[in-house]
Amino acid sequence: MKIFFLSLILFTLSFGDATIEVIKKVDSLPSLAMEDASVSYDDTFRLRFFKALVADMNVISIFNVDRHHNIANYNDVNVLVQNKDMNYVLRYKLFEDDDGELNVVLKLISNEDEVFTKSYKIKSKKVYMFLSHAIAYDINSFMGMPSVEWMKRKVIFSRLLSPKKSEIVIADYTLSYQSAVIKGGLNLFPKWADKQQSKFYYTSFDSKKPTLKFADIRSGSVKSVISSDGMIVCSDVSDNGSKLLLTMAPKGQPDIYLYNVGARSYSRITKFSGIDVNAQFMDNNNIVFVSNRLGYPNIFSKNLVNGAVEQMVYYGRSNSACSARGNYVVYKARESSSEFSRNTFNLHLISTKTDFIRRLTATGVNEFPRFSKDGDAILFIKNYKAQSSLGIIRLNHNKNYLFPLKSGRIQSMDW
Amino acid sequence: MKSILLSGAVAALLVFSGCSSKEPVVDQPTKPAQEVKAVETESVSTQTAMVGENAQAAADTNELDMAAVERKLSSVYFDFDKFNIRNDMLDKVSNDATVAKTVASGYTVKLEGNCDEWGSDEYNFALGLKRAATVKKALVAQGVQEDRITMVSYGESNPVCSDKTKECWSQNRRVDFKLLP
Repeated sequence: MKIFFLSLILFTLSFGDATIEVIKKVDSLPSLAMEDASVSYDDTFRLRFFKALVADMNVISIFNVDRHHNIANYNDVNVLVQNKDMNYVLRYKLFEDDDGELNVVLKLISNEDEVFTKSYKIKSKKVYMFLSHAIAYDINSFMGMPSVEWMKRKVIFSRLLSPKKSEIVIADYTLSYQSAVIKGGLNLFPKWADKQQSKFYYTSFDSKKPTLKFADIRSGSVKSVISSDGMIVCSDVSDNGSKLLLTMAPKGQPDIYLYNVGARSYSRITKFSGIDVNAQFMDNNNIVFVSNRLGYPNIFSKNLVNGAVEQMVYYGRSNSACSARGNYVVYKARESSSEFSRNTFNLHLISTKTDFIRRLTATGVNEFPRFSKDGDAILFIKNYKAQSSLGIIRLNHNKNYLFPLKSGRIQSMDW
Repeated sequence: MKSILLSGAVAALLVFSGCSSKEPVVDQPTKPAQEVKAVETESVSTQTAMVGENAQAAADTNELDMAAVERKLSSVYFDFDKFNIRNDMLDKVSNDATVAKTVASGYTVKLEGNCDEWGSDEYNFALGLKRAATVKKALVAQGVQEDRITMVSYGESNPVCSDKTKECWSQNRRVDFKLLP
């Protein structure tokens, strides 16, 4: 009975939160088989590409993906005999052109018709996973599903290596591709500065005071923006990149500041004598932030024009991180309060317009939630036992995916 | 006879003890600062050609002394999710204030706030900072000059241990003292 109710809740489909639709989606998904018609590259690479594509096609959650690595010829008229009962067959060919670049052509076959074809090219086969993500994105669009733009975006995260040592890494959402861009010393809280993901902010502890720095990936330049005694973090960047929400602590008092990038000036937003951190831009001149003004960390909103502060969450006794998108806020709630054993932190989703609330994770330490720009997914960090993983929650599909980090611990990230 | 032997032995002892001390014995001072000053004056007055080297040696000795003083400052520990100073930590804070006002009076005191592993987000960093701020307030209340104290929070990025035990977590919830020249 419990399981039945749990699955009822789990299969809630959309943000139309007044209704619950019960559909067992797994059985009704169309089947998809893959056929590898590659003519270049060794078996190891072909298999690696195949696995990446299968994983991406699973994540878009619109097919029942068959995991057999079938080999075919690209120009065969019929699908392979073992795939003749599949609803869809995705046949693709990897080949290396005269410039040494990785090319892919593909066709999606349904009922013996080619319903979709496309070709792709990428300079280096080292970044093959971005090609796989692009393929999944395009097929998802072709099938008429809501955008999964986030699949193509890069993730930036800081990884703790040892006490006071970290590095900042740029990766794809599965962590198959990783490139350390800031090495040496202690550098934390990276945050993308622009939509193109060519620049980012981060906090450096290498100078006398914690300093916010601005790095340009294309030119390799790094500039100091502002320093503060105590701590400094870039919590959020406005959509057009012109304003930042910073947490600074001159005199050891952590508060939220609004920083104007062009004018290089800032104004203090919160004046409470306790802790005010983690501000996020919302619509209509509002921000959400974390404050302990009620004696414990909780989520509040503030209007930047009239200064009105409102409590957002009325559940739990420790809600200490948040991210906002449209009418929704995702926050981290501590669900056990033990000094002597492991603690559980779970992510919850609330609406700012209704009293809708939904728990998104079940076990472990789940923190640092970040909405994707399109609102379809939430990225977060999961630390469970000794493993640190990047997690993705697909809100409309009720599915969570975890991508473990092989070494080190993820301290914070952005996408 | 006995008295002659005795006085002879005493005289011999005196002579031999006098002969054995060929090298000049530098006074062993109780305060390290005096040692530094003695080295500096010796190098300047006797071997001018080696001033550079000995100045470096003096700087190194300075650092060693700073490290020695730093060791006299003990870390302050905190309860889970709290930043107030516990009763059992009050004596430590008082001792630290005394050291800061006396032996370490020539240095800047840097307070480093730290947390256990539960949560790497901004709130945890702020908690570490509030811990440092509470210790700073206590030091100032006991007579340490406010402008000699700086603060930083490392959140959970500077642990002293990584076991998943309550002992380790309680060791990480702390404020460390570091000295800067």
